[in-house]
Amino acid sequence: MRQKGAVGWFKHDITHRGITAWILFVLLALMYFFFYYGGRTLFGAPIPDPFTPIAQGLGMPHKWTFYGLLYTIAVVAGGVLMFRRYGHNRYQVVRTSVVIFVQVTLAFAVPWILLIFEQPEFYFSYLWPLQIEYFYPSTILEMPLPFLLYSLIGSLLIVPLLGVFYGKRWYCSWVCGCGGLANTAGEPFRHLSTKSSASWLFEKWSVHLTLLLALLVTALVVASWAVGQHYPRFEETAVSLQSFYGLIVVTMLSGIIGVVVYPIGGTRVWCRFFCPMAALLGLIQKFGRFRITVKDDMCISCGLCTKYCEMGIDVRAYAQKNQDFVRASCVGCGLCAEVCPRGVLRLENRMPRDPQETLTMSSLLSRSYQ
Amino acid sequence: MKQYVIIGNGVAGAEAALELRRRLSPEEGRILLISDESPYFFSRTALMYAFMDRLDRRDLEPYERKVWDIQKIERVQARVVDLDASRRCITLESGEELSFDRCLVATGASPRMVPFEGLDAVEDGLVHFVSLDDLDACERLARTSDRAVVVGGGLIGVELVECFLHHGLEVTFLVREPYFWPAALAAEEGEMISEHIGDHGVELIHGEELHRIDVDEAGKIVAIQTTGERTLPTDILGICIGVVPTVDWLRDVTTPPTLKGGLLVDRSFATSLDGVYGAGDCVVVDLGVDGPPKHEPIWYTARDHGRLAARSILGDDVRYEPPVFYNSSKFFDVEYTTVGAVQDLPPGTGALFRSHPDKLITQRILHATDGERRVLGFNMLGSRWDHRLLQRWIEERRGLNFVRRHLHEAQFDVEFGRANLEKMNEKEILL
Ligand SMILES: Cc1cc2nc3c(=O)[nH]c(=O)nc-3n(C[C@H](O)[C@H](O)[C@H](O)COP(=O)(O)OP(=O)(O)OC[C@H]3O[C@@H](n4cnc5c(N)ncnc54)[C@H](O)[C@@H]3O)c2cc1C
Ligand code: SF4
Ligand code: SF4
Repeated sequence: MRQKGAVGWFKHDITHRGITAWILFVLLALMYFFFYYGGRTLFGAPIPDPFTPIAQGLGMPHKWTFYGLLYTIAVVAGGVLMFRRYGHNRYQVVRTSVVIFVQVTLAFAVPWILLIFEQPEFYFSYLWPLQIEYFYPSTILEMPLPFLLYSLIGSLLIVPLLGVFYGKRWYCSWVCGCGGLANTAGEPFRHLSTKSSASWLFEKWSVHLTLLLALLVTALVVASWAVGQHYPRFEETAVSLQSFYGLIVVTMLSGIIGVVVYPIGGTRVWCRFFCPMAALLGLIQKFGRFRITVKDDMCISCGLCTKYCEMGIDVRAYAQKNQDFVRASCVGCGLCAEVCPRGVLRLENRMPRDPQETLTMSSLLSRSYQ
Repeated sequence: MKQYVIIGNGVAGAEAALELRRRLSPEEGRILLISDESPYFFSRTALMYAFMDRLDRRDLEPYERKVWDIQKIERVQARVVDLDASRRCITLESGEELSFDRCLVATGASPRMVPFEGLDAVEDGLVHFVSLDDLDACERLARTSDRAVVVGGGLIGVELVECFLHHGLEVTFLVREPYFWPAALAAEEGEMISEHIGDHGVELIHGEELHRIDVDEAGKIVAIQTTGERTLPTDILGICIGVVPTVDWLRDVTTPPTLKGGLLVDRSFATSLDGVYGAGDCVVVDLGVDGPPKHEPIWYTARDHGRLAARSILGDDVRYEPPVFYNSSKFFDVEYTTVGAVQDLPPGTGALFRSHPDKLITQRILHATDGERRVLGFNMLGSRWDHRLLQRWIEERRGLNFVRRHLHEAQFDVEFGRANLEKMNEKEILL
């Protein structure tokens, strides 16, 4: 039951798909619309661009830097909320600190500084296949060598390797900006994720199809760069596929849907249903060391873990069956373990039948941290 | 085809139904799950989270609704008023009769009540916190009230206090005992928890009981008097002084089963009536020469009872062995795990009490004082523990030194957040 008074009403309304949640949804949609289409003409009508003047007024190179500023403010403010709510939980404190740090530096300050020094704008926190253009030859050719090496080694070596040892969480809920926003500013909306088995089925198809599409588009773009001049029809197809991917996946799904639906569909809609990086890391996670351990016979079936899982995993179903589990979609945010009133769940990186923890992040790091 | 009737769809009844279905195809057995409270099994343990807006009503249901149709378990929402074991049938309040081949009584527990002075005049303002109706009543009253008094310093009491506090009420918590929950905690821990509850802004009164309830002309509660001659004005009075097995309805049925503080069952969960079994909070298990009859109104026991009773109903040779006791709870922010024997131990038992210098983290390890100082029980506050390992050490009759050396292996805290066991202050106490 919601608390008494206007504040109680608002807190409940905005987090339970009430009228204020829908208003926020519309406002976010408008904001994204003007960010993406401001200054262009759509169906013959010119769309005003409110953000470029603001960015210029702030001495920023372009409106996307201003967008980055808003994003960073949201992450920091949401991070403060996280500290207030979960300050007693070291995993959440460390994780949120890293998320804020990465957003402020790698995802905001560094690209801006690079522009100031007339270097290509580069986001060290994003890697292919999430940032698909980092593997496009046109981008690669412009990249200074160190960036290129970082991008290649990062995507092809570091991502899978860390995925094997720590699961997808090291990226999805420690580094990535999409996940970072979801786990900070998105915190009040995380419980809105859909839990139905139908959504699970949809997710399994949609996320892997997007990964397939990302691989296909990358391969085509590279091939067309290599041999395109001899086959103009092929080059055309590659170009149109590339812009299709750019519009549908990058703009619509990751940019707009990803954030706009927070107030009504919960956080991580992009991450769960579409992100190619999440799909790839999820496949690795299935065979890696990460898992969630269930303390046998201690669950009281209260359902808090399921409710607060932003990936819509029915955690309670595993907990009440005494079943440790690894789900490809689990981003290791650790909130299920946090909200569980009986301490039933624990995130671990150990090999299944290992009796004591040997290679957990905890044993490697927590001693020094204490 | 045989007919199985289960009265009560709490965790005992629901798990029994699922266990029966695991072994019986729909052609072999028809399963009816009856309850007057709710058409779907829900988690009673999560009532407080619904009250605090952390869960919606529907979230309380541990299984997706379609499970019951898929499993072909028929749900009946009705009150059972009669049981006739000789004719093998039960009667619903509507008068409808249902026959059975086997019947399981899993009617749970109800709030304990005492005839307090002034109780008869109360029309409104008094609540318990056990059923969905109680939850509705609490929600209705919390909306219009400013003050609440909660009586009874147990697990449900502290949950209700937390809920009222969440809704901005001024809460007074009346606890008869000198510190919080002596039924399970020793003085040191109990006092810490009392302080913790006080820190959240609750007025905690120890050592006094409810003496009289005062109402206005309409019968609405306005104040209570304590045995300490205090008058506490209040709009809500929450009574959480324990639960009793819901067996009153069995006293006047056509064939009353043997009751002994609860529905008496043997170790195979059979009652004194042929074809009638019992499980969960409503039963008392007769352990014969191994100990006094056992009544454990907790979730885990009810769940195990339900599954075992189902096996017994199906003809398995079931002999209930109460496992090494364990339970868990949470007092505001402090998590609590207990394993083994921690109360009513004979004088001469030792207790190693460890407490963190800065945080509310304690461990109490109860142990024998002779030989290897065999460990008997654990009472842990403020950090997470794997009760399975603690249980195993008790079963393996491990000594105190072994347990102290290996204690860190049973820690279950979040990554980076392990309680630092090296820092704990230790004190040896002789009971
Ligand atoms: C607020 C609260 C918090 C709790 N927290 C914990 C906890 O953290 N850990 C823990 O271990 N335990 C906890 N418990 C105890 C736990 O909930 C119970 O032990 C458990 O629910 C018992 O299950 P049961 O199936 O025996 O009975 P119940 O869940 O009580 O179910 C019995 C059902 O039978 C119905 N019924 C009764 N009589 C009839 C009739 N004549 N006809 C039809 N239907 C009937 C009742 O309405 C009820 O729905 C808590 C209890 C409460 C109230
Ligand atoms: S299962 Fe737990 S750790 Fe994984 S995404 Fe869900 S809440 Fe986060
Ligand atoms: S939050 Fe914990 S106790 Fe509640 S259902 Fe999940 S695992 Fe079980």
